[in-house]
Amino acid sequence: MAKEKEESVQISRRTTRSSATAYNNNGIESAKPNVSHTPTLDDLVFGQEPISLDDLLSSFPGRRVQILELLRLLGTINSSMPPLFIYGSASTGKTSIVLQIFRRLSRPFVYTSCLSCYSPRILFESILNQLLLHKKNAVNGYSSAKRCEKPSDFVNLLREALTNVIDSLKANLGKTSTTKLKGQVNGRMIYLIFDKFELVREWDKSSSILSFLFGLCDILKMAEVGVIFISNNSLDTYHSNTGYVEPIPVHFPEYTEDDLRQIFMRNQANRKLYSSFLDVVLRPFCRITRRVDELSTAFSMLFKKYCEPLNDLGVVPNEEMKRRLFSHLQPHVAPSLNERFRIASQPSLDCEVNQETRRKGSARKSGASGDLDEIDFHMSTSAKYLLISAFLASRNPATLDASLFDSTGGSDSRKRKRKASEKSIEQKEAAEQELLMKGPGTFSLERLLAIFQCITSVAEDLLGEEEEGNDKLGVELGSNTLMSDVLLQLTSLCNSNFIIKGGSCPLEGSTRYRSTVSEDLSLKVARSVKFPLSKYLYRR
Amino acid sequence: MGRDNPAAEEALNLLRSRLCDPNFIFKPLSDSPDSNYSKLKFLVSSSVTEACNNSILLLGPRGSGKISVLELVLNDLLSEYPETISVIKLNGLLHSDDNCALKEIARQLCVEHQLLFSKMASFDDNSQFMIEMLRECGLAHKTIIFVLDEFDLFAQGKQRLLYSLLDAMQSVTSQAVVIGVSCRLDADQLLEKRVRSRFSHRKLLFLPPSKEDLQRLLEHILSLPIDSNIPHDYAVEFNGKLKNILADGRFKEIINSFVDLDSTVKHLLRFLFRAVSYMNLESGFLSLENFKTALSNSQRQPKQECIKDCSVLELYILVCMKRLEVKEQTSYNFISVMKEYKSIHDSFQTPDYYSRNVCLRAFENLLQRELISFADNRGYSQSVEFRPVKLLISHVELHQGLKSYRSCPAILLKLVER
Repeated sequence: MAKEKEESVQISRRTTRSSATAYNNNGIESAKPNVSHTPTLDDLVFGQEPISLDDLLSSFPGRRVQILELLRLLGTINSSMPPLFIYGSASTGKTSIVLQIFRRLSRPFVYTSCLSCYSPRILFESILNQLLLHKKNAVNGYSSAKRCEKPSDFVNLLREALTNVIDSLKANLGKTSTTKLKGQVNGRMIYLIFDKFELVREWDKSSSILSFLFGLCDILKMAEVGVIFISNNSLDTYHSNTGYVEPIPVHFPEYTEDDLRQIFMRNQANRKLYSSFLDVVLRPFCRITRRVDELSTAFSMLFKKYCEPLNDLGVVPNEEMKRRLFSHLQPHVAPSLNERFRIASQPSLDCEVNQETRRKGSARKSGASGDLDEIDFHMSTSAKYLLISAFLASRNPATLDASLFDSTGGSDSRKRKRKASEKSIEQKEAAEQELLMKGPGTFSLERLLAIFQCITSVAEDLLGEEEEGNDKLGVELGSNTLMSDVLLQLTSLCNSNFIIKGGSCPLEGSTRYRSTVSEDLSLKVARSVKFPLSKYLYRR
Repeated sequence: MGRDNPAAEEALNLLRSRLCDPNFIFKPLSDSPDSNYSKLKFLVSSSVTEACNNSILLLGPRGSGKISVLELVLNDLLSEYPETISVIKLNGLLHSDDNCALKEIARQLCVEHQLLFSKMASFDDNSQFMIEMLRECGLAHKTIIFVLDEFDLFAQGKQRLLYSLLDAMQSVTSQAVVIGVSCRLDADQLLEKRVRSRFSHRKLLFLPPSKEDLQRLLEHILSLPIDSNIPHDYAVEFNGKLKNILADGRFKEIINSFVDLDSTVKHLLRFLFRAVSYMNLESGFLSLENFKTALSNSQRQPKQECIKDCSVLELYILVCMKRLEVKEQTSYNFISVMKEYKSIHDSFQTPDYYSRNVCLRAFENLLQRELISFADNRGYSQSVEFRPVKLLISHVELHQGLKSYRSCPAILLKLVER
């Protein structure tokens, strides 16, 4: 659930707390007196009002079975547990459900994500920091409490830290069993949660780290420690040399269409209106994806469009109005299905652009993705030529450059084409297959610049012949042939991923480049500068 | 949970902690004289009493209780001869590096004998210290027991640790036992010649329990003690109901179908844990239903689940890739998959035809689900479209997945069955 995730991110779980809670620190002395806030064991729980079971179930529609199963496996207070392995595809609510369950139980836990802790050392130190209630700040120079790189050191330090924490939990248990305060530690169990566990497989020496982490429970041999792994991929994708004892698997399936409807209906101001909107869009979108995060970005934009004819958003739609809204939305559904789901970094800006294009009545939304079109607009002319020449350099074999770019400006290419098409069909197919597999070819900087010079000179000629009046562009091009400028443009094209820098050539030692632009886009760019690109393309 | 039965809660807690405690589980399997427990205990205690050196390998599949039985033996010996034994435990996952291992040995020896441990000591210092300590302990008639878990991992590299340990044991003055634990049955073949010649080649094999042992084990684990703080009447009733379940033919069937897959004890414990945690707290008794749900929840088919999670578009891509494979195309990438997708659309006029970008996104989702993967690790500079890919599921799996998919387009099934 995207919304729930956002919420839980916003909650400053272990950051500074109001001083009110600092009063009832339960006798655990902080090692650092100069820090204004003394961290306590309470920092290891979720840090918010525990929620009731009904709230928990209702806030995650379609996850009833999984939540109840997890609660049963976690068991009553103080009961030990073998390692759990929670898996399911992205955006099915694994992390947020586990965190909310711990909020309900208010038991202490240590949460680490293998995404932010991207190496064993950082993972180990992050766990120890949380257990030792150590916070990186300016006073300690943002260093960790303990420095440890090897699993062997980690296990010793971890055992020590866990023993301390469990001892104080037990002491707590004896003291405050009668009065229960908000957000107070519950029980003597402590849980280690590893999120995004599938990423560990890509680490160095992943095989030994994997079997170490899977075996952590057996190595520690502490009944008070529970280990929970959260992963995108199932257990059978984890390989290690001599295997491991499998943790208990819990599967989170993808949401069904009905679940998705319930999820999207939550927190809607006008439920009737939104439900009639979902009637229109949910089914076709579900055929493409059932991921909540992708759907919610697509729906938020479509819903705005759906509401456009309405003056009052609080209105309860009747049959006739539904029909009217449907016919208003209908033309937008199919193109938005074919649009790449956008991650709206600046949704307001995006919408404006959309509206503008609509007002102009241009039909450019139909084809390729919108954002590439936008970049196309803002590109300078020389950058466009550079893009075209990079595309040509990637597409055409280097041996044909001389004949394509001779003084006659590519008129020779047609003969070449005919010659090539005389080859037998099988050979042609094989070559085509090879091209498909190889993708765009690489080229050296010199070749790119040579082609660039050729096509800009050709373009000047063309412009001189056809458009007498527009000599402004010609002047601009003339000044753009400066080397330093072109190199700068090349760097910016590289940075925006239109051209990728490949490895250096082993023979020449110079850097090789590769264009990633599709044919459609380069044709479009060529059209915008009136460059006859198809004349220069070598067809097999 | 006020409405729940407190006795049942306590019973559940007890059962759960039992299932997580391997020492409890293996107690009853150690009575008979020809059990691994008795053999191991005899071997170790004789070398302790007769002051000789010894080395043993404990071999068996993962989760068959090697370490647990060893723990039981060591605990018994420690209580029998508290003065003359010190145990050093190493784990191949942690200490496969020689340097690390010697440091850990020195650390544990220091803790054991109340000496000051220096973190800065070098490899040579530590190995000197170890040999010195072995001699001293030998003179004082104290036995040092080295437990090397994941023994096969110590055999990587130059095996300096194993050599220096076993070499030190060749002298008359030292008094040590080296116990290697491994799940590789060929662990002794991994040793170098100089190490192997110093090894005793005693091996203990751990086998999965027999049917009778299993029955005994289940009863031992699941029945409640009569004389504890759990109410007597409740415990008696609980045990009575449990007996009925254990004798039930359907229950035996469940257990058999589970054990057929993997008969190690640890595996069984995970299953029992699941079943026990499903226990109804209101009634407070285990039921056959609990075991049934546990069985269905622990026998998973991850690939089928994964296909069920896919969207219709992702299924189309999978089917396209399968068709390319059937055509015996040696390698293919996203571009060729799209060609196939377009040809399917052209010949069958499917309603699901989306633009390239949308398909690319679905393709990336499939990569993330690990139903497909890149065929090689080279070519990071290439963009996703051009890198060759392969299917990670078999055609049969794909077919089954499509058949069990809730609303699978008929055309896809037709295409796969052809």
